[in-house]
Amino acid sequence: MLGLYGIITFVVLFIIFAVLGFYGAYWRRGNLDLLHEWGLAGRKLGTILVWFLMGADLYTAYTFIAVPSGLFAKGSLYFFAVPYVSLTFAIALLTMPRLWVVSRNKGYVTAADFVKDRFNSKILAALVALTGVVAELPYIALQIVGMKAVLEMMLLGIGNIALVSEISLIIAFIILAAFTFTSGLRGAALTGVFKDILIWITVISIITIVPLQYGGFSHAFSEMATKQMAIYSKLAEPLIPAYWSLFLGSALALYLYPHAINGSLSADDKNKLMYGTALLPIYGIGLAIIALFGILIYAVPNALNIVKLTHNGALVVPALIVTTMPDWAAGIMLLGIFVGGLVPAAIMAIASANLLVRNVIKEIKTDLTFKGETDLAKWISAIIKFIALAFVFLVPETYAINLQLLGGIIIAQTLPAVFLGLYTDWFNPWALTAGWATGIISGVYMFVTFGLPRATSVYPTPFGLLYVAVISLAFNLIVSTIGTLIARGLGYKTKSNISAEELKG
Amino acid sequence: MTNMVNLRQVIAGILMAIPFIIYFDIPSYNKVYPTLGGLPYFYWYQTLWLAISTILFSIAAFLLAKR
Repeated sequence: MLGLYGIITFVVLFIIFAVLGFYGAYWRRGNLDLLHEWGLAGRKLGTILVWFLMGADLYTAYTFIAVPSGLFAKGSLYFFAVPYVSLTFAIALLTMPRLWVVSRNKGYVTAADFVKDRFNSKILAALVALTGVVAELPYIALQIVGMKAVLEMMLLGIGNIALVSEISLIIAFIILAAFTFTSGLRGAALTGVFKDILIWITVISIITIVPLQYGGFSHAFSEMATKQMAIYSKLAEPLIPAYWSLFLGSALALYLYPHAINGSLSADDKNKLMYGTALLPIYGIGLAIIALFGILIYAVPNALNIVKLTHNGALVVPALIVTTMPDWAAGIMLLGIFVGGLVPAAIMAIASANLLVRNVIKEIKTDLTFKGETDLAKWISAIIKFIALAFVFLVPETYAINLQLLGGIIIAQTLPAVFLGLYTDWFNPWALTAGWATGIISGVYMFVTFGLPRATSVYPTPFGLLYVAVISLAFNLIVSTIGTLIARGLGYKTKSNISAEELKG
Repeated sequence: MTNMVNLRQVIAGILMAIPFIIYFDIPSYNKVYPTLGGLPYFYWYQTLWLAISTILFSIAAFLLAKR
Protein backbone atom coordinates (compact mmCIF):
# COMPACT_ATOMS: atom_id res chain seq x y z
CA MET A 1 0.00 0.00 0.00
CA LEU A 2 0.94 3.64 -0.34
CA GLY A 3 2.50 5.36 2.70
CA LEU A 4 1.26 8.53 4.41
CA TYR A 5 3.42 10.95 2.36
CA GLY A 6 2.14 9.32 -0.78
CA ILE A 7 -1.48 9.76 0.27
CA ILE A 8 -0.89 13.42 1.20
CA THR A 9 0.77 14.12 -2.16
CA PHE A 10 -2.13 12.41 -3.93
CA VAL A 11 -4.78 14.45 -2.09
CA VAL A 12 -2.97 17.80 -2.49
CA LEU A 13 -2.52 17.24 -6.23
CA PHE A 14 -6.16 16.23 -6.56
CA ILE A 15 -7.15 19.56 -4.99
CA ILE A 16 -4.98 21.40 -7.54
CA PHE A 17 -6.68 19.37 -10.27
CA ALA A 18 -10.14 20.41 -9.01
CA VAL A 19 -9.14 24.09 -8.77
CA LEU A 20 -7.86 24.02 -12.35
CA GLY A 21 -11.12 22.43 -13.46
CA PHE A 22 -13.25 25.17 -11.94
CA TYR A 23 -10.85 27.90 -13.12
CA GLY A 24 -11.55 26.70 -16.70
CA ALA A 25 -14.80 28.67 -16.70
CA TYR A 26 -12.82 31.94 -16.53
CA TRP A 27 -10.11 30.93 -18.98
CA ARG A 28 -10.41 32.45 -22.49
CA ARG A 29 -13.85 33.50 -21.46
CA GLY A 30 -16.84 32.90 -23.65
CA ASN A 31 -20.61 32.77 -23.33
CA LEU A 32 -21.02 29.37 -21.72
CA ASP A 33 -24.73 29.39 -22.53
CA LEU A 34 -23.84 28.43 -26.11
CA LEU A 35 -23.21 24.78 -26.96
CA HIS A 36 -20.02 25.36 -28.97
CA GLU A 37 -18.60 27.55 -26.17
CA TRP A 38 -19.37 25.01 -23.45
CA GLY A 39 -18.88 21.79 -25.42
CA LEU A 40 -16.06 22.80 -27.80
CA ALA A 41 -14.25 25.39 -25.62
CA GLY A 42 -15.34 28.04 -28.13
CA ARG A 43 -13.18 26.37 -30.85
CA LYS A 44 -10.19 28.29 -29.47
CA LEU A 45 -7.47 25.70 -28.81
CA GLY A 46 -4.06 26.11 -30.51
CA THR A 47 -1.51 23.47 -31.60
CA ILE A 48 -0.09 22.82 -28.12
CA LEU A 49 -3.46 22.72 -26.37
CA VAL A 50 -4.90 20.46 -29.06
CA TRP A 51 -1.95 18.15 -28.51
CA PHE A 52 -2.43 18.14 -24.73
CA LEU A 53 -6.22 17.82 -24.90
CA MET A 54 -6.13 15.01 -27.46
CA GLY A 55 -3.29 13.34 -25.57
CA ALA A 56 -5.35 13.46 -22.38
CA ASP A 57 -8.41 12.34 -24.33
CA LEU A 58 -6.96 9.37 -26.22
CA TYR A 59 -4.32 8.03 -23.85
CA THR A 60 -6.56 7.30 -20.91
CA ALA A 61 -6.31 5.70 -17.47
CA TYR A 62 -7.83 2.58 -18.95
CA THR A 63 -5.17 2.46 -21.68
CA PHE A 64 -2.42 2.79 -19.11
CA ILE A 65 -3.90 -0.01 -17.02
CA ALA A 66 -5.28 -2.35 -19.70
CA VAL A 67 -2.49 -2.39 -22.30
CA PRO A 68 0.29 -3.41 -19.86
CA SER A 69 -2.00 -5.89 -18.10
CA GLY A 70 -2.96 -7.34 -21.52
CA LEU A 71 0.69 -7.62 -22.48
CA PHE A 72 1.43 -9.21 -19.10
CA ALA A 73 -1.41 -11.75 -19.43
CA LYS A 74 -1.51 -12.53 -23.15
CA GLY A 75 1.89 -11.45 -24.47
CA SER A 76 3.10 -9.62 -27.56
CA LEU A 77 -0.31 -9.52 -29.34
CA TYR A 78 -1.26 -6.56 -27.12
CA PHE A 79 1.55 -4.51 -28.60
CA PHE A 80 -0.85 -3.86 -31.51
CA ALA A 81 -1.59 -0.68 -29.54
CA VAL A 82 1.68 0.76 -30.91
CA PRO A 83 1.08 0.54 -34.69
CA TYR A 84 -2.49 1.58 -33.91
CA VAL A 85 -1.40 4.89 -32.36
CA SER A 86 0.79 5.66 -35.36
CA LEU A 87 -1.73 4.87 -38.11
CA THR A 88 -4.75 6.40 -36.40
CA PHE A 89 -3.18 9.86 -36.66
CA ALA A 90 -2.62 9.48 -40.41
CA ILE A 91 -6.32 8.69 -40.69
CA ALA A 92 -7.09 11.67 -38.46
CA LEU A 93 -5.01 13.94 -40.72
CA LEU A 94 -7.06 12.82 -43.71
CA THR A 95 -10.43 13.34 -42.05
CA MET A 96 -10.46 15.74 -39.09
CA PRO A 97 -9.25 18.91 -40.88
CA ARG A 98 -12.04 18.49 -43.46
CA LEU A 99 -14.61 17.90 -40.73
CA TRP A 100 -13.25 20.91 -38.84
CA VAL A 101 -13.63 23.18 -41.88
CA VAL A 102 -17.19 22.18 -42.69
CA SER A 103 -18.15 22.35 -39.00
CA ARG A 104 -16.74 25.87 -38.70
CA ASN A 105 -18.55 26.94 -41.89
CA LYS A 106 -21.89 25.39 -40.96
CA GLY A 107 -21.80 25.62 -37.14
CA TYR A 108 -21.70 21.86 -36.52
CA VAL A 109 -20.90 20.54 -33.05
CA THR A 110 -21.02 16.78 -33.80
CA ALA A 111 -20.25 14.35 -36.64
CA ALA A 112 -23.96 13.55 -36.83
CA ASP A 113 -24.68 17.24 -37.59
CA PHE A 114 -22.47 16.78 -40.66
CA VAL A 115 -24.05 13.47 -41.72
CA LYS A 116 -27.53 14.99 -41.50
CA ASP A 117 -26.68 17.76 -44.01
CA ARG A 118 -24.37 15.72 -46.18
CA PHE A 119 -26.85 12.95 -46.92
CA ASN A 120 -30.01 14.88 -46.19
CA SER A 121 -31.11 12.25 -43.67
CA LYS A 122 -32.15 12.87 -40.08
CA ILE A 123 -32.51 9.16 -39.50
CA LEU A 124 -28.94 8.33 -40.56
CA ALA A 125 -27.74 11.24 -38.39
CA ALA A 126 -29.66 9.99 -35.36
CA LEU A 127 -28.28 6.47 -35.88
CA VAL A 128 -24.73 7.84 -36.06
CA ALA A 129 -25.39 9.83 -32.86
CA LEU A 130 -26.88 6.90 -30.96
CA THR A 131 -24.07 4.58 -32.07
CA GLY A 132 -21.62 7.12 -30.69
CA VAL A 133 -23.39 7.36 -27.34
CA VAL A 134 -23.76 3.59 -26.95
CA ALA A 135 -20.10 3.00 -27.80
CA GLU A 136 -18.98 5.78 -25.48
CA LEU A 137 -20.76 4.72 -22.27
CA PRO A 138 -18.72 1.55 -21.58
CA TYR A 139 -15.60 3.54 -22.43
CA ILE A 140 -16.45 5.94 -19.59
CA ALA A 141 -17.14 2.96 -17.33
CA LEU A 142 -13.69 1.57 -18.13
CA GLN A 143 -12.03 4.79 -17.03
CA ILE A 144 -13.57 4.08 -13.64
CA VAL A 145 -12.22 0.51 -13.77
CA GLY A 146 -8.75 1.98 -14.35
CA MET A 147 -9.17 4.44 -11.49
CA LYS A 148 -10.28 1.61 -9.20
CA ALA A 149 -7.02 -0.22 -9.89
CA VAL A 150 -5.11 2.85 -8.66
CA LEU A 151 -7.20 3.07 -5.48
CA GLU A 152 -6.91 -0.66 -4.84
CA MET A 153 -3.10 -0.39 -4.95
CA MET A 154 -3.10 2.65 -2.65
CA LEU A 155 -5.33 0.97 -0.12
CA LEU A 156 -3.93 -2.56 -0.32
CA GLY A 157 -3.85 -4.10 3.15
CA ILE A 158 -6.52 -1.97 4.83
CA GLY A 159 -9.76 -3.65 5.88
CA ASN A 160 -12.50 -2.26 3.72
CA ILE A 161 -10.99 -1.47 0.32
CA ALA A 162 -14.25 -1.72 -1.64
CA LEU A 163 -16.13 0.79 0.51
CA VAL A 164 -13.29 3.31 0.78
CA SER A 165 -12.57 3.20 -2.95
CA GLU A 166 -16.25 3.57 -3.86
CA ILE A 167 -16.62 6.61 -1.60
CA SER A 168 -13.44 8.11 -3.09
CA LEU A 169 -14.76 7.56 -6.60
CA ILE A 170 -18.11 9.14 -5.77
CA ILE A 171 -16.39 12.23 -4.34
CA ALA A 172 -14.09 12.46 -7.37
CA PHE A 173 -17.05 12.20 -9.75
CA ILE A 174 -19.12 14.81 -7.92
CA ILE A 175 -16.22 17.26 -8.26
CA LEU A 176 -15.71 16.28 -11.90
CA ALA A 177 -19.40 16.65 -12.71
CA ALA A 178 -19.51 20.03 -10.97
CA PHE A 179 -16.63 21.57 -12.88
CA THR A 180 -17.67 20.02 -16.18
CA PHE A 181 -21.05 21.64 -15.62
CA THR A 182 -19.58 25.08 -15.03
CA SER A 183 -16.46 25.02 -17.25
CA GLY A 184 -17.30 22.55 -20.03
CA LEU A 185 -14.46 21.54 -22.34
CA ARG A 186 -12.29 24.41 -21.04
CA GLY A 187 -12.04 22.62 -17.68
CA ALA A 188 -11.09 19.38 -19.44
CA ALA A 189 -8.41 21.14 -21.52
CA LEU A 190 -6.72 22.74 -18.49
CA THR A 191 -6.83 19.61 -16.35
CA GLY A 192 -5.67 17.65 -19.40
CA VAL A 193 -2.39 19.60 -19.47
CA PHE A 194 -1.93 18.87 -15.76
CA LYS A 195 -2.64 15.16 -16.27
CA ASP A 196 -0.30 14.84 -19.25
CA ILE A 197 2.60 16.38 -17.32
CA LEU A 198 2.12 13.91 -14.43
CA ILE A 199 1.90 10.95 -16.83
CA TRP A 200 5.13 11.96 -18.57
CA ILE A 201 6.91 12.27 -15.21
CA THR A 202 5.73 8.74 -14.42
CA VAL A 203 6.81 7.20 -17.71
CA ILE A 204 10.25 8.78 -17.74
CA SER A 205 11.00 8.03 -14.07
CA ILE A 206 10.05 4.37 -14.24
CA ILE A 207 11.82 3.63 -17.51
CA THR A 208 15.01 5.19 -16.10
CA ILE A 209 14.89 3.98 -12.51
CA VAL A 210 13.73 0.38 -12.92
CA PRO A 211 16.47 -0.67 -15.39
CA LEU A 212 19.11 1.13 -13.26
CA GLN A 213 18.07 -0.37 -9.94
CA TYR A 214 16.60 -3.72 -10.88
CA GLY A 215 18.19 -4.52 -14.22
CA GLY A 216 16.36 -3.96 -17.48
CA PHE A 217 14.65 -6.17 -20.00
CA SER A 218 17.48 -8.73 -20.13
CA HIS A 219 16.95 -9.33 -16.45
CA ALA A 220 13.15 -9.44 -16.86
CA PHE A 221 13.43 -12.05 -19.62
CA SER A 222 15.94 -14.10 -17.63
CA GLU A 223 13.40 -14.37 -14.78
CA MET A 224 10.76 -15.92 -17.03
CA ALA A 225 10.01 -19.57 -17.65
CA THR A 226 10.55 -20.78 -21.25
CA LYS A 227 6.80 -20.84 -21.90
CA GLN A 228 6.42 -17.17 -20.88
CA MET A 229 9.47 -16.21 -22.90
CA ALA A 230 7.76 -17.59 -26.01
CA ILE A 231 4.62 -15.41 -25.71
CA TYR A 232 6.61 -12.27 -24.88
CA SER A 233 9.64 -12.40 -27.17
CA LYS A 234 7.73 -12.02 -30.45
CA LEU A 235 4.39 -12.67 -32.15
CA ALA A 236 3.26 -16.28 -32.71
CA GLU A 237 2.75 -16.95 -36.44
CA PRO A 238 -1.04 -17.72 -36.25
CA LEU A 239 -1.67 -14.38 -34.51
CA ILE A 240 -0.38 -12.25 -37.40
CA PRO A 241 -3.85 -11.71 -38.99
CA ALA A 242 -5.27 -10.82 -35.56
CA TYR A 243 -2.39 -8.37 -35.03
CA TRP A 244 -2.82 -6.37 -38.23
CA SER A 245 -6.62 -6.42 -38.17
CA LEU A 246 -6.63 -5.22 -34.54
CA PHE A 247 -4.35 -2.28 -35.25
CA LEU A 248 -6.12 -1.42 -38.51
CA GLY A 249 -9.64 -1.67 -37.04
CA SER A 250 -8.71 0.29 -33.93
CA ALA A 251 -6.96 2.95 -36.01
CA LEU A 252 -10.04 3.35 -38.21
CA ALA A 253 -12.40 3.45 -35.22
CA LEU A 254 -10.65 5.90 -32.89
CA TYR A 255 -11.55 9.10 -34.70
CA LEU A 256 -15.16 7.98 -35.05
CA TYR A 257 -15.55 8.04 -31.26
CA PRO A 258 -17.40 11.18 -30.15
CA HIS A 259 -14.65 12.26 -27.73
CA ALA A 260 -12.00 12.22 -30.48
CA ILE A 261 -14.17 14.21 -32.88
CA ASN A 262 -15.20 16.61 -30.12
CA GLY A 263 -11.56 17.25 -29.22
CA SER A 264 -10.63 17.85 -32.88
CA LEU A 265 -13.48 20.30 -33.45
CA SER A 266 -12.32 22.40 -30.48
CA ALA A 267 -9.19 23.48 -32.42
CA ASP A 268 -8.75 27.15 -33.20
CA ASP A 269 -7.81 26.64 -36.83
CA LYS A 270 -7.29 23.93 -39.39
CA ASN A 271 -3.50 24.21 -39.52
CA LYS A 272 -3.18 24.10 -35.73
CA LEU A 273 -5.38 21.00 -35.68
CA MET A 274 -3.14 19.34 -38.29
CA TYR A 275 0.09 20.14 -36.43
CA GLY A 276 -1.37 19.06 -33.09
CA THR A 277 -2.57 15.79 -34.63
CA ALA A 278 0.68 15.08 -36.50
CA LEU A 279 2.60 15.34 -33.21
CA LEU A 280 0.36 12.90 -31.31
CA PRO A 281 2.36 9.69 -32.10
CA ILE A 282 4.99 11.13 -29.70
CA TYR A 283 2.53 10.44 -26.92
CA GLY A 284 2.35 6.87 -28.23
CA ILE A 285 6.02 6.41 -27.29
CA GLY A 286 4.92 6.91 -23.67
CA LEU A 287 2.18 4.35 -24.20
CA ALA A 288 4.68 1.88 -25.74
CA ILE A 289 6.94 2.24 -22.71
CA ILE A 290 4.04 1.77 -20.30
CA ALA A 291 2.91 -1.29 -22.30
CA LEU A 292 6.39 -2.75 -21.82
CA PHE A 293 5.97 -2.44 -18.05
CA GLY A 294 3.95 -5.66 -18.53
CA ILE A 295 7.30 -7.33 -19.27
CA LEU A 296 9.53 -5.18 -17.08
CA ILE A 297 7.56 -6.24 -14.00
CA TYR A 298 9.37 -9.59 -14.14
CA ALA A 299 12.52 -7.74 -13.09
CA VAL A 300 10.84 -6.47 -9.89
CA PRO A 301 9.91 -9.47 -7.69
CA ASN A 302 7.94 -7.39 -5.14
CA ALA A 303 5.69 -5.92 -7.80
CA LEU A 304 5.24 -9.29 -9.49
CA ASN A 305 4.22 -10.84 -6.16
CA ILE A 306 1.51 -8.21 -5.62
CA VAL A 307 -0.01 -8.98 -9.04
CA LYS A 308 0.18 -12.72 -8.41
CA LEU A 309 -1.24 -12.58 -4.87
CA THR A 310 -4.16 -10.33 -5.81
CA HIS A 311 -4.76 -12.20 -9.12
CA ASN A 312 -5.29 -8.76 -10.61
CA GLY A 313 -3.42 -8.01 -13.84
CA ALA A 314 -4.72 -4.44 -13.69
CA LEU A 315 -2.25 -3.79 -10.90
CA VAL A 316 0.87 -4.19 -13.10
CA VAL A 317 1.58 -0.47 -13.43
CA PRO A 318 0.33 0.66 -9.98
CA ALA A 319 2.35 -2.15 -8.33
CA LEU A 320 5.50 -1.18 -10.23
CA ILE A 321 5.03 2.42 -9.17
CA VAL A 322 4.51 1.68 -5.48
CA THR A 323 7.31 -0.87 -5.17
CA THR A 324 10.00 1.07 -7.02
CA MET A 325 9.30 4.71 -6.10
CA PRO A 326 9.52 6.68 -2.84
CA ASP A 327 6.07 7.36 -1.37
CA TRP A 328 5.78 10.99 -2.43
CA ALA A 329 6.76 10.17 -6.03
CA ALA A 330 4.37 7.22 -6.12
CA GLY A 331 1.62 9.61 -4.94
CA ILE A 332 2.28 11.92 -7.91
CA MET A 333 2.27 9.05 -10.39
CA LEU A 334 -0.83 7.29 -9.09
CA LEU A 335 -2.69 10.59 -9.17
CA GLY A 336 -1.53 11.03 -12.78
CA ILE A 337 -3.27 7.78 -13.75
CA PHE A 338 -6.28 8.56 -11.56
CA VAL A 339 -6.97 11.93 -13.19
CA GLY A 340 -6.02 10.22 -16.45
CA GLY A 341 -9.41 8.56 -16.02
CA LEU A 342 -11.31 11.66 -14.99
CA VAL A 343 -10.28 13.95 -17.86
CA PRO A 344 -11.33 11.63 -20.70
CA ALA A 345 -14.48 10.67 -18.78
CA ALA A 346 -15.40 14.36 -18.77
CA ILE A 347 -14.73 14.78 -22.50
CA MET A 348 -16.60 11.58 -23.35
CA ALA A 349 -19.61 12.68 -21.33
CA ILE A 350 -19.57 16.15 -22.96
CA ALA A 351 -19.36 14.62 -26.44
CA SER A 352 -22.17 12.15 -25.74
CA ALA A 353 -24.35 14.91 -24.33
CA ASN A 354 -23.74 17.07 -27.43
CA LEU A 355 -24.87 14.17 -29.65
CA LEU A 356 -27.97 13.36 -27.62
CA VAL A 357 -29.10 16.98 -27.46
CA ARG A 358 -28.21 18.05 -31.00
CA ASN A 359 -29.07 14.97 -33.02
CA VAL A 360 -31.75 13.15 -31.07
CA ILE A 361 -33.63 15.41 -28.65
CA LYS A 362 -33.56 18.54 -30.83
CA GLU A 363 -34.96 16.54 -33.76
CA ILE A 364 -37.97 15.66 -31.65
CA LYS A 365 -38.31 18.90 -29.68
CA THR A 366 -37.59 21.41 -32.43
CA ASP A 367 -38.32 24.58 -30.40
CA LEU A 368 -35.23 24.18 -28.19
CA THR A 369 -33.36 27.52 -27.76
CA PHE A 370 -29.55 27.84 -27.82
CA LYS A 371 -29.51 28.26 -24.05
CA GLY A 372 -32.02 25.45 -23.65
CA GLU A 373 -29.89 22.97 -25.60
CA THR A 374 -26.75 23.95 -23.67
CA ASP A 375 -28.46 23.60 -20.27
CA LEU A 376 -29.77 20.23 -21.28
CA ALA A 377 -26.32 19.09 -22.46
CA LYS A 378 -24.80 20.16 -19.13
CA TRP A 379 -27.29 18.07 -17.17
CA ILE A 380 -27.02 15.07 -19.50
CA SER A 381 -23.23 15.09 -19.29
CA ALA A 382 -23.51 14.96 -15.48
CA ILE A 383 -26.10 12.18 -15.55
CA ILE A 384 -24.01 10.07 -17.98
CA LYS A 385 -21.07 10.11 -15.57
CA PHE A 386 -23.16 8.78 -12.73
CA ILE A 387 -24.77 6.10 -14.91
CA ALA A 388 -21.25 4.89 -15.77
CA LEU A 389 -20.29 4.98 -12.08
CA ALA A 390 -23.39 3.03 -11.05
CA PHE A 391 -22.67 0.52 -13.81
CA VAL A 392 -19.18 -0.18 -12.49
CA PHE A 393 -20.44 -0.49 -8.90
CA LEU A 394 -23.34 -2.79 -9.73
CA VAL A 395 -22.09 -5.24 -12.35
CA PRO A 396 -18.82 -7.22 -12.59
CA GLU A 397 -15.94 -5.41 -14.29
CA THR A 398 -15.80 -7.98 -17.08
CA TYR A 399 -19.16 -6.67 -18.35
CA ALA A 400 -17.72 -3.21 -18.85
CA ILE A 401 -14.67 -4.66 -20.58
CA ASN A 402 -16.77 -6.79 -22.94
CA LEU A 403 -19.11 -3.90 -23.71
CA GLN A 404 -16.14 -1.73 -24.58
CA LEU A 405 -14.87 -4.37 -27.01
CA LEU A 406 -18.34 -4.34 -28.56
CA GLY A 407 -18.27 -0.52 -28.59
CA GLY A 408 -15.20 -0.56 -30.85
CA ILE A 409 -17.02 -2.89 -33.25
CA ILE A 410 -20.18 -0.81 -33.51
CA ILE A 411 -18.51 2.62 -33.72
CA ALA A 412 -16.57 1.40 -36.76
CA GLN A 413 -19.90 1.03 -38.58
CA THR A 414 -20.28 4.82 -38.77
CA LEU A 415 -17.15 5.06 -40.96
CA PRO A 416 -18.87 5.10 -44.39
CA ALA A 417 -21.25 7.91 -43.41
CA VAL A 418 -18.69 10.06 -41.59
CA PHE A 419 -15.25 9.48 -43.17
CA LEU A 420 -16.30 8.60 -46.72
CA GLY A 421 -18.95 11.31 -46.49
CA LEU A 422 -16.16 13.85 -46.07
CA TYR A 423 -14.85 12.92 -49.51
CA THR A 424 -17.97 12.06 -51.50
CA ASP A 425 -21.73 12.43 -51.50
CA TRP A 426 -22.02 9.50 -53.94
CA PHE A 427 -23.56 7.19 -51.31
CA ASN A 428 -27.31 6.93 -50.89
CA PRO A 429 -28.51 7.58 -47.30
CA TRP A 430 -30.76 4.50 -47.24
CA ALA A 431 -27.96 2.33 -48.57
CA LEU A 432 -25.69 3.70 -45.82
CA THR A 433 -28.41 2.96 -43.26
CA ALA A 434 -28.71 -0.62 -44.56
CA GLY A 435 -24.91 -0.97 -44.50
CA TRP A 436 -24.82 0.35 -40.94
CA ALA A 437 -27.46 -2.20 -39.89
CA THR A 438 -25.60 -5.04 -41.62
CA GLY A 439 -22.37 -4.05 -39.90
CA ILE A 440 -23.99 -3.78 -36.46
CA ILE A 441 -25.93 -7.03 -36.73
CA SER A 442 -23.04 -9.08 -38.13
CA GLY A 443 -20.62 -7.52 -35.64
CA VAL A 444 -22.83 -8.21 -32.64
CA TYR A 445 -23.47 -11.76 -33.89
CA MET A 446 -19.78 -12.57 -34.31
CA PHE A 447 -18.95 -11.00 -30.95
CA VAL A 448 -21.69 -12.77 -29.01
CA THR A 449 -21.12 -16.20 -30.56
CA PHE A 450 -17.30 -16.25 -30.41
CA GLY A 451 -15.75 -13.27 -28.68
CA LEU A 452 -17.92 -12.95 -25.57
CA PRO A 453 -17.22 -16.41 -24.05
CA ARG A 454 -13.49 -15.89 -24.70
CA ALA A 455 -13.27 -12.18 -23.77
CA THR A 456 -11.82 -11.35 -27.18
CA SER A 457 -12.90 -9.28 -30.18
CA VAL A 458 -11.47 -11.49 -32.93
CA TYR A 459 -13.32 -14.09 -35.01
CA PRO A 460 -12.03 -17.15 -36.91
CA THR A 461 -12.12 -16.73 -40.71
CA PRO A 462 -10.50 -18.52 -43.66
CA PHE A 463 -7.78 -15.84 -43.38
CA GLY A 464 -7.12 -16.60 -39.71
CA LEU A 465 -8.36 -14.78 -36.62
CA LEU A 466 -9.54 -11.29 -37.59
CA TYR A 467 -10.82 -8.33 -35.58
CA VAL A 468 -14.63 -8.33 -35.81
CA ALA A 469 -14.77 -4.56 -36.44
CA VAL A 470 -12.83 -5.03 -39.69
CA ILE A 471 -14.97 -7.97 -40.90
CA SER A 472 -18.29 -6.27 -40.18
CA LEU A 473 -17.05 -2.99 -41.69
CA ALA A 474 -16.28 -4.92 -44.90
CA PHE A 475 -19.90 -6.22 -44.96
CA ASN A 476 -21.12 -2.70 -44.24
CA LEU A 477 -19.15 -1.24 -47.16
CA ILE A 478 -20.36 -3.94 -49.55
CA VAL A 479 -24.03 -3.32 -48.67
CA SER A 480 -23.59 0.48 -48.75
CA THR A 481 -22.01 0.27 -52.22
CA ILE A 482 -24.45 -2.21 -53.76
CA GLY A 483 -27.41 -0.36 -52.24
CA THR A 484 -26.17 2.93 -53.67
CA LEU A 485 -25.66 1.38 -57.13
CA ILE A 486 -29.25 0.12 -57.07
CA ALA A 487 -30.64 3.46 -55.82
CA ARG A 488 -28.71 5.37 -58.48
CA GLY A 489 -29.79 2.85 -61.12
CA LEU A 490 -33.37 3.64 -60.15
CA GLY A 491 -32.63 7.35 -60.50
CA TYR A 492 -32.29 8.40 -56.85
CA LYS A 493 -29.48 10.87 -56.24
CA THR A 494 -28.29 12.24 -52.90
CA LYS A 495 -29.25 15.86 -52.31
CA SER A 496 -26.31 17.13 -50.27
CA ASN A 497 -26.91 20.36 -48.35
CA ILE A 498 -23.19 21.06 -48.33
CA SER A 499 -21.41 22.73 -51.23
CA ALA A 500 -17.89 21.84 -52.35
CA GLU A 501 -16.65 25.27 -51.16
CA GLU A 502 -17.99 24.67 -47.67
CA LEU A 503 -15.80 21.56 -47.41
CA LYS A 504 -12.63 23.23 -48.65
CA GLY A 505 -12.79 26.80 -47.31
CA MET B 1 -0.42 26.84 -59.19
CA THR B 2 -2.91 23.98 -59.18
CA ASN B 3 -0.12 21.57 -60.09
CA MET B 4 1.91 22.82 -57.14
CA VAL B 5 -0.95 22.10 -54.75
CA ASN B 6 -1.43 18.64 -56.21
CA LEU B 7 2.26 17.84 -55.92
CA ARG B 8 2.22 18.84 -52.26
CA GLN B 9 -0.79 16.60 -51.67
CA VAL B 10 0.82 13.66 -53.44
CA ILE B 11 4.01 13.95 -51.40
CA ALA B 12 1.99 14.30 -48.17
CA GLY B 13 -0.01 11.21 -49.13
CA ILE B 14 3.16 9.19 -49.72
CA LEU B 15 4.64 10.31 -46.39
CA MET B 16 1.47 9.27 -44.55
CA ALA B 17 1.37 5.91 -46.38
CA ILE B 18 4.90 4.90 -45.34
CA PRO B 19 4.01 3.87 -41.74
CA PHE B 20 1.15 1.72 -43.10
CA ILE B 21 3.59 -0.19 -45.34
CA ILE B 22 6.09 -0.55 -42.50
CA TYR B 23 3.61 -1.79 -39.91
CA PHE B 24 1.74 -4.13 -42.25
CA ASP B 25 4.96 -5.90 -43.17
CA ILE B 26 4.82 -7.86 -39.91
CA PRO B 27 7.27 -10.66 -40.91
CA SER B 28 9.98 -8.01 -41.39
CA TYR B 29 9.96 -7.10 -37.71
CA ASN B 30 8.53 -10.18 -36.02
CA LYS B 31 11.87 -11.31 -34.63
CA VAL B 32 13.85 -11.19 -31.40
CA TYR B 33 17.29 -10.12 -32.66
CA PRO B 34 18.94 -7.63 -32.71
CA THR B 35 17.82 -6.71 -29.19
CA LEU B 36 18.18 -3.23 -27.71
CA GLY B 37 19.06 -3.21 -24.00
CA GLY B 38 17.62 -6.72 -23.80
CA LEU B 39 14.40 -5.69 -25.54
CA PRO B 40 13.44 -7.81 -28.60
CA TYR B 41 13.52 -6.19 -32.05
CA PHE B 42 9.72 -6.63 -32.34
CA TYR B 43 9.16 -4.01 -29.61
CA TRP B 44 11.85 -1.43 -30.14
CA TYR B 45 11.46 -1.33 -33.94
CA GLN B 46 7.73 -0.57 -33.70
CA THR B 47 8.34 2.04 -31.01
CA LEU B 48 11.09 3.67 -33.08
CA TRP B 49 8.59 3.97 -35.93
CA LEU B 50 6.33 6.06 -33.71
CA ALA B 51 9.08 8.67 -33.61
CA ILE B 52 9.59 8.40 -37.38
CA SER B 53 5.79 8.59 -37.93
CA THR B 54 5.71 11.84 -35.98
CA ILE B 55 8.35 13.34 -38.29
CA LEU B 56 6.63 12.07 -41.47
CA PHE B 57 3.19 13.26 -40.34
CA SER B 58 4.56 16.66 -39.32
CA ILE B 59 6.11 17.17 -42.75
CA ALA B 60 2.82 16.03 -44.33
CA ALA B 61 0.86 18.48 -42.16
CA PHE B 62 3.28 21.24 -43.16
CA LEU B 63 2.76 20.46 -46.86
CA LEU B 64 -1.02 20.34 -46.49
CA ALA B 65 -1.27 23.48 -44.33
CA LYS B 66 -2.90 26.42 -46.03
CA ARG B 67 -0.78 29.55 -46.03
